[in-house]
Amino acid sequence: MPKLIIDDQEIEVASGTKVIQAAEQLGIMIPRFCYHPALGSVGACRVCAVKLLEGRLKGVQMSCMIDAQDGMVVSTTDEEAVDFRTHVIEWLMLNHPHDCPVCDEGGHCLLQDMTVSGGHGIRRYLGKKRTYQDQYLGPLIRHEMNRCIHCYRCSRFYQEFCGYRDLGALQSANRTYFGRFQDGILDSPFTGNLSDICPTGVYTDKPSRFRGRRWDYQRSPSLCIHCCLGCHTIATGRYREIVRQEARFSEAVNGHFICDRGRYGFFYANHEARPRRARVAGDEVSYDQALQALKAKLAEISKRSGPGAIACVSSDRSSLETQAVLKRIGRMRGWRNFSGFMPQGLAQKVQLAVARLEPALSVSLRELEGADFIVVVGADPINEAPMLALALRQARRKGAAIAVIDPRPIALPFDFQHVAMVPGAISLGLGLLARGSPDEAAIEKLGPPVSDFYAALPTPEVMNASDQKRLSPLIRDLRSSRRPVIVCGTAVGPATVVGLAADWALLLQAVGKKAGLFYLLPGANAFSAGILSDPEDTFEKTVEGIENGSIKALMLVENNPFWQFPDRARLEQALARLDLLVVLDYLNSAAAQQAHIFLPTATLYEIGGLFVNQEGRVQAAQRAHSGGIPIAQSGGGGHPPRIYGAGVPGAEPRPAWRTLAELVEEVVPPDEARMQSEVGVWLAEEDPRFADLPPFAELPEDGARLNHKRDGASRFLVNWTAELQKSRGFDDSFELLAVDWTFGTEELAVYSACLKALERKPGLLMHPDDAGRLGLTDGDEVAMQLDRGTLKVPVGVVANMAPGVIVLPRHRLLEWQRLACGRIRLERDRIRKAASPQGPKP
Amino acid sequence: MLTWIAGFILLIVKLGLVLGVLLLLAAYLVWVERKFLARLQIRYGPNRAGKFGLLQPIADTIKMMTKEDTVPEAADRIIFLGAPAVVALTALLMFAVVPFGPTLMIAGRQIPLVITDLNVGLLFIFALSSLAVYGVALGGWASNSKFSLLGGIRGAAQMISYELALGLALVPIVLLARSLSLVDIVNAQADYPFVVVQPISFAIFVIAAMAESKRIPFDLPEAENELGAGYHTEYSGMRFGLFFLGEYVHMQVFGALVAVFFLGGWRGPWLPPPVWLLLKIMLVALIMIWIRGTLPRLRYDQLMALGWKVLIPLALVNIMVTGAVSLL
Amino acid sequence: MATAWESVRALASGFATTFKHLWRPPITEEYPEYKRPLPVRSRARIILTRDPDGAERCVACYLCSAVCPVSCISMQATESEDGRRYAAWFRINFARCIYCGFCEEACPTSAIQLTPDFENCQRDILKLVYEKQDLLVDHQGKDKEYNFYKYAGVATDVGAKGAHHREEKPVNIRSNLP
Repeated sequence: MPKLIIDDQEIEVASGTKVIQAAEQLGIMIPRFCYHPALGSVGACRVCAVKLLEGRLKGVQMSCMIDAQDGMVVSTTDEEAVDFRTHVIEWLMLNHPHDCPVCDEGGHCLLQDMTVSGGHGIRRYLGKKRTYQDQYLGPLIRHEMNRCIHCYRCSRFYQEFCGYRDLGALQSANRTYFGRFQDGILDSPFTGNLSDICPTGVYTDKPSRFRGRRWDYQRSPSLCIHCCLGCHTIATGRYREIVRQEARFSEAVNGHFICDRGRYGFFYANHEARPRRARVAGDEVSYDQALQALKAKLAEISKRSGPGAIACVSSDRSSLETQAVLKRIGRMRGWRNFSGFMPQGLAQKVQLAVARLEPALSVSLRELEGADFIVVVGADPINEAPMLALALRQARRKGAAIAVIDPRPIALPFDFQHVAMVPGAISLGLGLLARGSPDEAAIEKLGPPVSDFYAALPTPEVMNASDQKRLSPLIRDLRSSRRPVIVCGTAVGPATVVGLAADWALLLQAVGKKAGLFYLLPGANAFSAGILSDPEDTFEKTVEGIENGSIKALMLVENNPFWQFPDRARLEQALARLDLLVVLDYLNSAAAQQAHIFLPTATLYEIGGLFVNQEGRVQAAQRAHSGGIPIAQSGGGGHPPRIYGAGVPGAEPRPAWRTLAELVEEVVPPDEARMQSEVGVWLAEEDPRFADLPPFAELPEDGARLNHKRDGASRFLVNWTAELQKSRGFDDSFELLAVDWTFGTEELAVYSACLKALERKPGLLMHPDDAGRLGLTDGDEVAMQLDRGTLKVPVGVVANMAPGVIVLPRHRLLEWQRLACGRIRLERDRIRKAASPQGPKP
Repeated sequence: MLTWIAGFILLIVKLGLVLGVLLLLAAYLVWVERKFLARLQIRYGPNRAGKFGLLQPIADTIKMMTKEDTVPEAADRIIFLGAPAVVALTALLMFAVVPFGPTLMIAGRQIPLVITDLNVGLLFIFALSSLAVYGVALGGWASNSKFSLLGGIRGAAQMISYELALGLALVPIVLLARSLSLVDIVNAQADYPFVVVQPISFAIFVIAAMAESKRIPFDLPEAENELGAGYHTEYSGMRFGLFFLGEYVHMQVFGALVAVFFLGGWRGPWLPPPVWLLLKIMLVALIMIWIRGTLPRLRYDQLMALGWKVLIPLALVNIMVTGAVSLL
Repeated sequence: MATAWESVRALASGFATTFKHLWRPPITEEYPEYKRPLPVRSRARIILTRDPDGAERCVACYLCSAVCPVSCISMQATESEDGRRYAAWFRINFARCIYCGFCEEACPTSAIQLTPDFENCQRDILKLVYEKQDLLVDHQGKDKEYNFYKYAGVATDVGAKGAHHREEKPVNIRSNLP
């Protein structure tokens, strides 16, 4: 623990700390361009010069390059160091163009700040400036290389931190160029971060180009709700719309960065088609009229068919407040409550995951980076939760071995071992890994329940030789690891996997490893939806209830079943049978368009809200602006309307929980302040896991984890052997997996025009063996005979996936909802090559 | 009984007359001041409302009457509302003892041209001018604003300080007239005005009177460039108008007092006595305006030094000299 | 005593001066009857000027709206086909403007300028809200020469990369030759 003095203040820091970090701990910000806490030091910009007065090293030194040592005396204000920095700024500015007024970085530009604070107000250099041609880097990032000061942050971030190769340094010396070899869309789904880390305006944010300056923006801490990780963002409001989103540093979740889906997914909140007026039977009415009509209708149905004929369905994109109010009024009124997880068996898996995630097992995304062995089971990180892939890469960079057991073609920006298995075999593979991980002798010593669990694990013989061979190096790595983490998805694997992952993590802990468990869930607030929903509940049951007439009224709260329910035709018929379809939403979804009564709700940018991420971390987003129709829309592209008026047009949408509360005023007071304090109490009444949370107004920056303890005796689920055996059946049919992709399948982000160019062309993916047997080649168009009609899609043949499985993205451009419920197996003769318009290939 | 009623009616008529003249004069004194001051500064002054801006006072009155009467939320409401009245009232009441002519004989009745001839008229004037401090101090305090409070405190300190000099300057006059009644004092100047024998008293009185009426160069309680508008910063509309009115009535009262004590009151040749008094009042007022147009505002320490270290000692010496001379 | 005498003299000279003023004709210029020609740099109604080539100078950099002490300027920047940044809309609320001229001082392109025309009273306050078409003029105002895009390094119709004032030809990234 070296102790040093910086600017007459003494500080003791951990060994290995750089002087620049030590100074930061004292609150002294040494200027920097190339140094970034996430990227480390390279000493490229020379602007962090300080003077060392005492110690082994003396004189002007770069504070980002030297470790803090005992006895060091550092001066950041020494004349020589200040003079040095002034000159550095001046030379960095030699070639910098005179274009701050038209540069979007102006106003929050590090170079601009340093130039002004360094006192370099007048350019002395009168020679010619170096110039570069710029490149097209896709719809998200704008390139302007003239402004570059060669700090290498972009290439270090892009190549070292993210692991993508298509952007980096070209040319040499003073002519060094940062870009791609040729124009084109960047490969990485983390490109938006380039505009955050670039200390000047080389990479600027394209969707928010010229929308405003930092000082005009209404910026507030927000959360990303485009996957379950709950990354921290800064939402930026301007002229009544969200124009930009940036990464917000979070120690526990996302670190310094976020993915492009999270960063640019916000456009649904400003979308022109966003409904802002209440509707009754398709006619726009005032909010209060709609509410009165709804009250009357619900009362009538409740009187005629009983309260059980009313079903309310929440969703995993609703805030915790909304879910809590819906749960409470549903229970008090006797309405039926459903969580709204659409795909088959998903609700069960989420509930299991939520139940099994104990504080002792749970790891945060940042803790995951410290693991030395990670096995990802039934999850596709880059497609389901891109920031998980980035965290995995950081673990890999620190030396962790990473394996992915998943049937899908997995692409990750680092080297890992992919064990492509059909979903049914995943639990078996997992069982084998679990059996291989500890010494048997150690297990004997521990006794039950550990030994009972271990004894029930499958032996290697049950698995074929090739799979065994693929798993054996993993077992070796696992045995030598100290901090293994199991990342378990809920999208494709059977429910057994979810339970087994938890059991296995417990087993690893029992044998002395610091094992962790990390679940992936299907939505931003899926964790609390899992807690608050009925164990027996599936959306299919709701549809069945409508079909058999026991449900007469359906209230969908921020939920659009048309997006994820796999049987569109059946859903349409069912909804048509309803006496009353109520939709509360901020999207003009297919369900909203069919609703008998529609009430607009506000997005989290307008009201804030609480969200529980996949590790049970309750986090708060604050409102970024107060809503209303964006000026860009109300002005029709020209200037804002020339009218007087105190009100904000289009400000009718209210928080969904408030609408719900107004629906049953005697149950819930529709008062925002009271609501804040009471929602915690209600949640605690609903489920004891919410009981230990601090008051929501006092939530720490990184949120607070839901804490629940289970009895040690019931921790292992020993009785899954039967399930394991059951899942071993193979036949000649395909297993069809409807999956998510990074872009194009997430309901909210598809409203972002800028992300459309990044979507891959949707199609069916299959293994070369299967394609060969069907006589298909890559790029062929196939006609799939599904239960609800034929679906024509192009086929992609990829080697790195499991044979016997076909993968179909739930893409907005595909009518995959023709699948029907329960259908996951597809006979081979149902897939045929469609008549190609170009004629048969030779 | 009949005499009593006639006396009463007479009193009412006199009161109405004096009040009317005073208020009208106050309004036009404002016009005179603005015009005269403008010419001192090579300007025109008000010249848009009516010929020569003669309707300006009416326009101002209408403006002040129709303006919103705001009361600050933090103000002490009752005192805030009452304070302007104290200022205006005390200023008007002082005129009660000022004689504006010799006793008239109409229909065999003696009609004294003074509202009431108090035998302690001088003390009455001192009492009222002391009470006027309350208007300023309370107005400043009740506004609950730091500017007002500072103005109010300055006003109180200044008026109490100059009250002494004011009083002491008049002791020689009392010595000469041997009466505290203003009527007697005027009568005592039948031969010559007292300014001839008491120039020092005259100077002290004029200076102290200007300080009492808070006029430049003694307008520290208002001091626009330091305190907003001093004790009346928070006032608007007619309540501000009352402060304003108070100031100009004060000007007239002091003009009248200067005339009564030093310039022989209503005495003068050819013209009727009330006209003489008015002329003298106007003369004093014009001199006060001229002073305003010429001198800068004193600093607070200068103000206090002038009051306590110059005027009061000078007044005391003057009393002794006058006493000695009259004993001789 | 000497000081006292001096004070009296000083006072007397003051009174004499003001007394003399009393007899001088007033120097007041009576406004609606006589309108004084104002210096070109006097600050009143704001305009948006054009560069010598006739294009809009304003690049909608938001500096004027930032520096405006009464927040009377608002705008939305956008980009044209040829790479120019310009104001999609630009609004000045003259009902709020205090004509301090900070916007003109902050403007990096000499676009926003104040003119001596101060007679723009309106009974309807909305008429004081000027849009871009009300502000834009067809001349250069006080700065006859400057064209920002000839100096800025960005590629526009005024000049490609390397074609601006004091610029080298763009670096060839496919060659390591010096």
